[in-house]
Amino acid sequence: MVSRRVDQALADDRQLIRRMLAGDEQAFEAFFNSYFARVYRFALPRLNGDVEATREVVQSALTKAMRKLADFRGESGLFTWICQICRHEVVDYIRARRRTRHVVLIDDQPDLRLAIESVEAPEEYDLVRSYGRAEVARLVRVVLDQLPSNYGDALEWKYMEGDSVEVIGERLGIGTTAAQSLLARARVAFREALEKVFGAEADDVAASLGA
Amino acid sequence: MNDADIERVLRSAGPRDKPPVAVERAVHSRLRAEWRALVAEGHRHRQRRAGFALAAGLLAAAVGVWVAMPRPTGPAGVVATLALATGEVRVRSGWLDGWDSVSSGQALASGQAVRTGSAGRGVLTLPGGVSARMDHDTRILLAGGDQVVLERGALYVDAGPGPTPAAPLDVVTPAGSLRHVGTQYEVRLLESGVRLRVREGRVEWQAKNGAVEHSGTGEQLTISNDGSVERASTSLYGESWDWIAAATPAVDIEGLPLAQFLSWAARELGREVVYATPDIESEAAGIVVHGSISGLTPLQALDAVLATTSVRAEVVEGSLVVGVQDPAFQPSVTSSAAKPAT
Repeated sequence: MVSRRVDQALADDRQLIRRMLAGDEQAFEAFFNSYFARVYRFALPRLNGDVEATREVVQSALTKAMRKLADFRGESGLFTWICQICRHEVVDYIRARRRTRHVVLIDDQPDLRLAIESVEAPEEYDLVRSYGRAEVARLVRVVLDQLPSNYGDALEWKYMEGDSVEVIGERLGIGTTAAQSLLARARVAFREALEKVFGAEADDVAASLGA
Repeated sequence: MNDADIERVLRSAGPRDKPPVAVERAVHSRLRAEWRALVAEGHRHRQRRAGFALAAGLLAAAVGVWVAMPRPTGPAGVVATLALATGEVRVRSGWLDGWDSVSSGQALASGQAVRTGSAGRGVLTLPGGVSARMDHDTRILLAGGDQVVLERGALYVDAGPGPTPAAPLDVVTPAGSLRHVGTQYEVRLLESGVRLRVREGRVEWQAKNGAVEHSGTGEQLTISNDGSVERASTSLYGESWDWIAAATPAVDIEGLPLAQFLSWAARELGREVVYATPDIESEAAGIVVHGSISGLTPLQALDAVLATTSVRAEVVEGSLVVGVQDPAFQPSVTSSAAKPAT
């Protein structure tokens, strides 16, 4: 099931790229709407919360990603691939300016990074107990960003903003039934991703967050 | 973990950060310009590849097939108007199409290329009132209403006066791209890179490597092909700007207060209006201009319009000094330019 979803996501990515390179305006907007905010959130903490630096880095990363789109082979998801480009941009930015403190996040640790990117967790990680509430909360948001963008948005709208399925359908430009179905898939994907990142401790995540 | 747990986790983790709207807009705008350039470049590459294949194959058969098939790219929609064409100005719609002569008033579509000859100049009017003047021996590709690819020569962009930027226009060059922030500027391709001179406002320059530079009024940036940037000051007027005046698009002065006409002329000349006295300024505001200055340079237009008024204007260094022509002259409340409106 997961594998089929991944295959579908890659096929969607490839189709989006093909349409973008052919000059399809809607494809460009879909690309921007899918990736900008997520890449921004990826870069912001790595640049110590510096908004202007993040703007420059994200702009540069997305520009480079667009120029290399034809070379994207789909060995990883498009978002993961863009994040790799962004990671290099962050390092280059810090190196060139020598003024921004280099922030190392727990999700940059090799094992955890692998887990997040491939959504598979090493068993020895006990994140819930090793890190504080704020870090766990941030990691949950990182996991949310790893899902397809409309999954993350739909979950946020439903559970944090309290939107009805009808409103979510409208916001996504799809019908109510399709929104219902998407929400169901999003819940499954989020649950699986949490379990893969937090391992056996996933059930403790809610408790550690004080929920 | 059930659905209720998911809800609790999400609520406890809190919403994800939202990028500031201004940042999102800025990145979107820049990225869109890059994407348009990328698409235009891709079309050109495909066209070139197709051209090589054609030459290598059976030419006669290929031509036959080509005649029957639709063009790979072509005019997609009108995005500009050729407001002024002097001397040789030609347009090409597709890679196998010829360069057709065009005259003022011609509508131009996305995907078309425009070039001026050694004695030609052209002025394009783009969406939102942005104008782009082409010097001699210049070639551009219209990637869209908000993007022009400068392939050869020089372009002068006028986005209108005032701090509020008019419609966006990205000028893409081999070394990077430019975006105005309410401005007049010239960009010229050099053998070794690109030269940018800002006459008014600000311009954002983004190099191919993503580096961003800003340039303000009176500044000149020379960006070499290796990416190095040299910054210097530049005059806002003088011989090197004369081609701009020679390619002035027609403006409608009918019913315009003289003061407004003087502001237009001064801006075209890279000068500031300076009134000799407050009385003259009041007088200029009360005089209404009639007629047409079509085909005249700003200096010729000044002579033509002011000849029928009590006001005189003289270019002194960086100023257009406005004084009284003849104290004995009794001006009427209207003025007629040399060329009557038709």
